[in-house]
Amino acid sequence: MQKPKIALYWCAGCGGCEEAVVDLAEKILDVINLVDIVFWPVALDYKVEDVEKLPDGSITASFINGGIRMGEHEHVVKLLRKKSKLVIAYGACSAWGGVPGLANLYDKEEIMKCVYQETPTVDNPSKTMPQVKTEKEVTLELPNFLPRILPLDLVVDVDYYVPGCPPTPDVTWKSIETLLSGNLPPKGSTLGALTKSVCYECALNETKPEKVLIKDFMRPHKVAIDPSKCLLTQNLMCMGPVTRGGCGSLCLKVAMPCTGCFGPLDEVKDYGGKAASYFASILDYMDEKEIEKVLSKFPDFMGVFYRYTLPASRLRGKIKMKGGD
Amino acid sequence: MSEELRIGVYVCHCGTNIAGVVNVKDVVEYAKTLPNVVVAKEYVFMCSAPGQQIIKEDIKNFKLNRVVVAACSPSLHEPTFRTATAEGGLNPYLFEMANIREHCSWVHPDEKEVATTKAKLLVKMAVAKASLLEPLSEIKFKVNNTALIIGGGVSGLAAARDLAARGIKTYLIDRSPTLGGRAARLGKLTYTEMKGIDVFKGLIRDVAGNRLIDVYTNTELVSVDGSVGNFKVKLVKNPRYVDAKCNLCGECAKVCPVEVPDEFEFGMSKRKAIYLPFKDAYPRIYVIDMKSCTRCLECVKVCPVGAINLNEKPSELTINVGGIIVAAGYDPYEPKTGEYGYKLSNKVITLFQLERLLDSEGPTKGELIVNGVKPKNIVFVMCVGSLSTTPDAYPYCSRMCCSSTIKNALVLREKYPDTNIYIAYKDVRTYGRGDEQLYMKAGENFVRFAKFKDAPKINIDQKGNLSVTLFEETLQEEITIPTDLVVLVVGMTPPRDIDKVRTTIKIGCGPEGFLREAHLKLRPVETATDGVYLAGAVTGPKNIIESIASGSAAASRTLALLSKEEVAVEPLIAVVNEDICSGCAICVAMCPYGAISLKIIDKNIRVAKVDSALCKGCGTCAAACPSGAMQQYGFKDAQIKAQVIAAMGEV
Repeated sequence: MQKPKIALYWCAGCGGCEEAVVDLAEKILDVINLVDIVFWPVALDYKVEDVEKLPDGSITASFINGGIRMGEHEHVVKLLRKKSKLVIAYGACSAWGGVPGLANLYDKEEIMKCVYQETPTVDNPSKTMPQVKTEKEVTLELPNFLPRILPLDLVVDVDYYVPGCPPTPDVTWKSIETLLSGNLPPKGSTLGALTKSVCYECALNETKPEKVLIKDFMRPHKVAIDPSKCLLTQNLMCMGPVTRGGCGSLCLKVAMPCTGCFGPLDEVKDYGGKAASYFASILDYMDEKEIEKVLSKFPDFMGVFYRYTLPASRLRGKIKMKGGD
Repeated sequence: MSEELRIGVYVCHCGTNIAGVVNVKDVVEYAKTLPNVVVAKEYVFMCSAPGQQIIKEDIKNFKLNRVVVAACSPSLHEPTFRTATAEGGLNPYLFEMANIREHCSWVHPDEKEVATTKAKLLVKMAVAKASLLEPLSEIKFKVNNTALIIGGGVSGLAAARDLAARGIKTYLIDRSPTLGGRAARLGKLTYTEMKGIDVFKGLIRDVAGNRLIDVYTNTELVSVDGSVGNFKVKLVKNPRYVDAKCNLCGECAKVCPVEVPDEFEFGMSKRKAIYLPFKDAYPRIYVIDMKSCTRCLECVKVCPVGAINLNEKPSELTINVGGIIVAAGYDPYEPKTGEYGYKLSNKVITLFQLERLLDSEGPTKGELIVNGVKPKNIVFVMCVGSLSTTPDAYPYCSRMCCSSTIKNALVLREKYPDTNIYIAYKDVRTYGRGDEQLYMKAGENFVRFAKFKDAPKINIDQKGNLSVTLFEETLQEEITIPTDLVVLVVGMTPPRDIDKVRTTIKIGCGPEGFLREAHLKLRPVETATDGVYLAGAVTGPKNIIESIASGSAAASRTLALLSKEEVAVEPLIAVVNEDICSGCAICVAMCPYGAISLKIIDKNIRVAKVDSALCKGCGTCAAACPSGAMQQYGFKDAQIKAQVIAAMGEV
């Protein structure tokens, strides 16, 4: 019998998700025993043309990591969608835009200028900027840069999500097992993780007082964190309560607050909105001045509340108002 | 949801209230185009019996499974339409309401097109939410058929009397050492020979010794938990230092060396630190005012029955009741020092003080003696603290003061025929039975009336002589009246620390601080909190007749609740999805009603649990819940989101 065909592709991401697959360690051999990998640019020498030649729907599952930033990403994911029975958004960037998604707080021109002209390490006296097409002795073409970064499901239909920045080996393996079991969950489900938040797995949850209220906000590098006490009670902005569990509360085990890389739970559509609402609720002040004092300690609101999810949020990013609106 | 959605939309004209502005026909036609709407109709008054009949018939004829009415505020007619929906055979919670009166026609009367567009949008939102509504059933609790009345003035006494008459066990508490409230100090009441104290005695006759009424004086409210039918109330009973053995011999007061102003006489005479609040006080037991007591122990030494214990401590007690009546009364308006010369001369007194002076049991045994002399010229200044006469004055009319002033003027006229009596007024509103005749009689008996618009000035010269200057509106000239006594007719204000009671029981208040009824006309003695009722002047100025009537009315509404076996509560409360809840405990601290706790479902797996008897459906926990596990029936995230998307479109 023919083995199921699998494709893996890397869009706008750091490469950690590719590394995560390799992190399966010896289990990767089990995976290879069970499936044929037909496309994996980072590891195997198959080209896009090879995928184009495959019959539609012949790939069992395509694992796509990274957000959609370039025209090339858009082109390839649309191709993979056509050729695959299932498309899986693998990792935070693919599911919600991830950390690179914070680039949506700037428009294309601002990003280009920053990267190619203003960054101190850039030496570009002629102010050369990348062009989609450059005609000199030969004609060179580069993929175009989309106006904003998009999560995969705003570009193609997505069947399942695998959360994490990156997904842990455990989550990755559980997802593969679920897909190969033939007993597929409803479309849109999140694979390999829990339906409950990080607190559910966190050993420190038991140390919470009856009423969780905080009076201050501290950044982790400025305090000596007690690893035996719930970090919220130490005024650290732990995103554990807002974030899907399944990671095994890895960060909490080493006394670092959860930053939310497993994204929202099933009932929550806008992670950052919910996170801000949760934080506002437990901030134990009625006086506006006191509240402002605490808020002024946040160096970067969007980075705290929307670290992994801005492009998938209701906000999507910063919108430039036209016509003086 | 497997069943096919069949929604009926009904747009109300509300006479011309809505139809005068909103193009109702347009809204109906628009509603017909919305998804899953199978019928849309208009009617002149949807809340009327024929209007409700349309809903009931259409549910059957069109096999509707959702009903949307676009009409007035849900706070007014949501219950009406829920009932109609239920009578039509549907679950009442499959009904949704769009408010196109308060939100459209009333606020955009001059922009008919805008109002119509907005009405369409509100209907679209209601339809979107209706599609996601789920059938709910009311939550039922056993009713504890006992009542608590806060405040032992005439309205509280009347309520206690009426509840006990129907066999209801009633707790009557007052923070002062005696029942009687304000009315017990009032003088002769209009058109009867009764005085305030006589009314008090008439009411106390049925309350004192009534085995169904437990009276707690010197007692204050600490906390109220629970909800309609089942309140758990914590009280603190402050020490009286004298127990029921007291035989009223009065030896203690004779030896007490401390003299302080007597509040019953509005400070016009002195009482001792150990005292009987007034002759007919209830309970008739002496009390020690520990703020002024020097603990010299003289009283303890002379008490022949050993009733005094200076070491008595406050005690807390908890009672369980089904309903609560707040009859906390009012405070007289206290003029600022210098306002109308108040406190600058002892010849400037308030109407309440005058009534004490004219009382045969008052500090002067009924003789009008001020500063050792009988005043020849007396000027009443009305509307002090009312009708915005001064910057500190309240905007409202205190209702009882005009009649009371005129009655006192007539009492003076009869008793001291040769005095000159003037009444300076902004407006005379003698609305009570027989009061207009009194007004006429006063005119016929040479009580002189002077009308002002701007507050009169009280002049005090260096010799201490008084005069009142005002611009007389009828004469259209400024006049000055020399006088020996100025009586400030002060209005009624909310009790000074009513906010403590108000926030403990969670009752709304108006801009001036009087407690708010659920509906001024339809539910005048009920509050927005089920099971909590209001009586007397705590909702606004009332005379004795009105206060007693409202006490009886509150008792009647309380009885309607307490005579039931069970009470049904709207199921619009918070609910936990245990498959999502991680037991993170964020919601526990949020709940203002203490309704959420963590329960252990398996070894160390915890989930939040909502006590449906305590949850009031405020939604705070649902907003705070970081995981979306906490949702509120009738306002689930998905339902609200559907409305937002209907209004704003998908992002």
